[in-house]
Amino acid sequence: MDLLANLALGLATAATAQNLFYCFVGVFLGTFIGVLPGVGPLAAVAMLLPVSFYLPPETALVMLAGVYYGAEYGGSIASILLNIPGTPSASVTCLDGYPMAQQGRAGVALFSTAIASMFGAMFGVVVMVLLAPKLAEFALLFQPAEYFSVMVLGLVAASVVSSSGAVRGLMMVCLGILLGTVGVDVNSGETRFTGGIQELRDGVSLVVVAMGLFGISEVMVSLRGATQSYAGAGLTGRLLPTRSEWQRSFMPAIRGSTVGSFFGTLPGTGQTVASFVGYALEKRVNRNRAEFGKGAIEGVVVPESANNAAAQTAFIPTLTLGIPGSTTMALMLGALMIHGITPGPRLIAEHPDLFWGLVVSFVFGNIFLLILNIPLIGIWVRLLRVPHYYLYPTVIVLICVGVFGISNSLTDVWATLTFGVIGYVLRLFRFEPAPMLIGFVLGPMMEEYFRRAMLLSRGDPTVFISRPGSAALLAVAAFLLAATILPWKQWVLQGMSAVRNVGLK
Amino acid sequence: MRRLISHLGPVIMLMAGLGFAIGAATSLELGSFRRMGPGAFPLLVGAVLSLLALTALIENLRRPMHVDKADPWAVLGVIGGVSAFAFLTPLAGVLPATALAVFATGSVIPEFRWPYRIALALGVSMAVWLIFVLGLGIPFVAIRGL
Repeated sequence: MDLLANLALGLATAATAQNLFYCFVGVFLGTFIGVLPGVGPLAAVAMLLPVSFYLPPETALVMLAGVYYGAEYGGSIASILLNIPGTPSASVTCLDGYPMAQQGRAGVALFSTAIASMFGAMFGVVVMVLLAPKLAEFALLFQPAEYFSVMVLGLVAASVVSSSGAVRGLMMVCLGILLGTVGVDVNSGETRFTGGIQELRDGVSLVVVAMGLFGISEVMVSLRGATQSYAGAGLTGRLLPTRSEWQRSFMPAIRGSTVGSFFGTLPGTGQTVASFVGYALEKRVNRNRAEFGKGAIEGVVVPESANNAAAQTAFIPTLTLGIPGSTTMALMLGALMIHGITPGPRLIAEHPDLFWGLVVSFVFGNIFLLILNIPLIGIWVRLLRVPHYYLYPTVIVLICVGVFGISNSLTDVWATLTFGVIGYVLRLFRFEPAPMLIGFVLGPMMEEYFRRAMLLSRGDPTVFISRPGSAALLAVAAFLLAATILPWKQWVLQGMSAVRNVGLK
Repeated sequence: MRRLISHLGPVIMLMAGLGFAIGAATSLELGSFRRMGPGAFPLLVGAVLSLLALTALIENLRRPMHVDKADPWAVLGVIGGVSAFAFLTPLAGVLPATALAVFATGSVIPEFRWPYRIALALGVSMAVWLIFVLGLGIPFVAIRGL
């Protein structure tokens, strides 16, 4: 009964005209940037941060969340029609989506991705409703040592999936944490690393860092890159899948959603890992596995249900533990903190309208998305024909206006440009800026819990491994690191050849 | 040469880590294990970053990581656009600054033709006025002297 009361509260929050409007704005923008290859949800959420300051916190979160999961719907459209993923997590969809389009089944592919996305998302929402309150209740038992360790786990997980390797990912995390220490230390009141600059006393602003690292530097990377726009014939052929295609899709959709929900909840992994693992798993268990890669409908249903389920369940660690599952989630946490809301296990109890309102808004958002992606699919196909060079100058100005709009200071605009150049140079040297942002958001909280844990243990640093909860979390983090850094594969091969040699003698 | 440039990445990181660690150790209170001062945590993280950077440097010496080529025109276009916005806003207001910024960034895209660049600059200025000034009611000086 408790659950029903909570959902009713959520409905009352989500169904106001203002929240419905911003939910629609969010999912519309999400689909928009998802469709366009080259600009991801991260840059879009970064650019919307300033706008969200003018809204109440729950409305802001509903809109930013809409961008986040809306992009998953849009991402598959370019995958299917152009063989270029609109978002990284839609890259698996290319494998079977593009062959389907070449066979003249683009309509069926787009229709079934929309339905599979909706199915995955709803699956994820149900998992979130059932799991999040339980997890938050459990996390209330956490003491500072456990909080510190869970953050270490989140940061390690975020850096091991980084494409340039775990060591480089961890370096960016450390750099982000250090950047977060700039400004006044809340415990002692002393200023740190400001170099005597007055503007830095309050620390570096999240908006400036996020817009610089992800907005400006992304435009620098893609401004003059080869842009390809869609030149195909548009949507021909039927839209509705046949009866046998429906039947073939049902079990794969459930399996995809399950895999997606799991990897979405796990901090650090996300939609991309979910869709890859979902596809690989389906290829093992499916009876039609020989058709995979040649335009099998399962090949679009599984990754799309997986990445949409993951997009919804990614909110579980973010809202119950305060550990962002991905960089975009870190930005949303930052937005909440700017509104004065501390993320963590108390969030559901202290701001039930925010949490349950968000959950119910997911349902509305997905209905909007289904409308945007089935009857209105033509708009997005036409959008793909628009040359991309209109986009980038517009993005630059939106960043400038956004930064200037919240602080009314041109110093912040210059600072954003500086971070843009830093982000660009880091990218050239193969350092991904994404883990840096997670470190920047979590850093101050991490330091706080570290110092508190040490105080409680009377200065004994073994507290992090003597408390079982904390020790278990750190062990998982160590395992994740070992799994990526150590050359397991080489060892196994060496071992095998050694065995073979022994066998020959 | 490109090999040497490739090593520069971890070296910069090493310098950043050492910089923070030394800065924390010399100019900030470290405190005790029980009551940590403001310098303890940055010292710890700075040290970890330096160690990681050393690891990456050794790894890079054995197998240099590929470094991407910079695109100076793209960087120049973006810097030009943002600078145009920042310089022109106090002089002429947000809308002229917006138009010039769009124009400046658009100029470095070769296949983007002149009439379209001008049209985009005007269109984006209109949109900024509609969304930010009319819609969200942010108190911008839209056009100075108007």
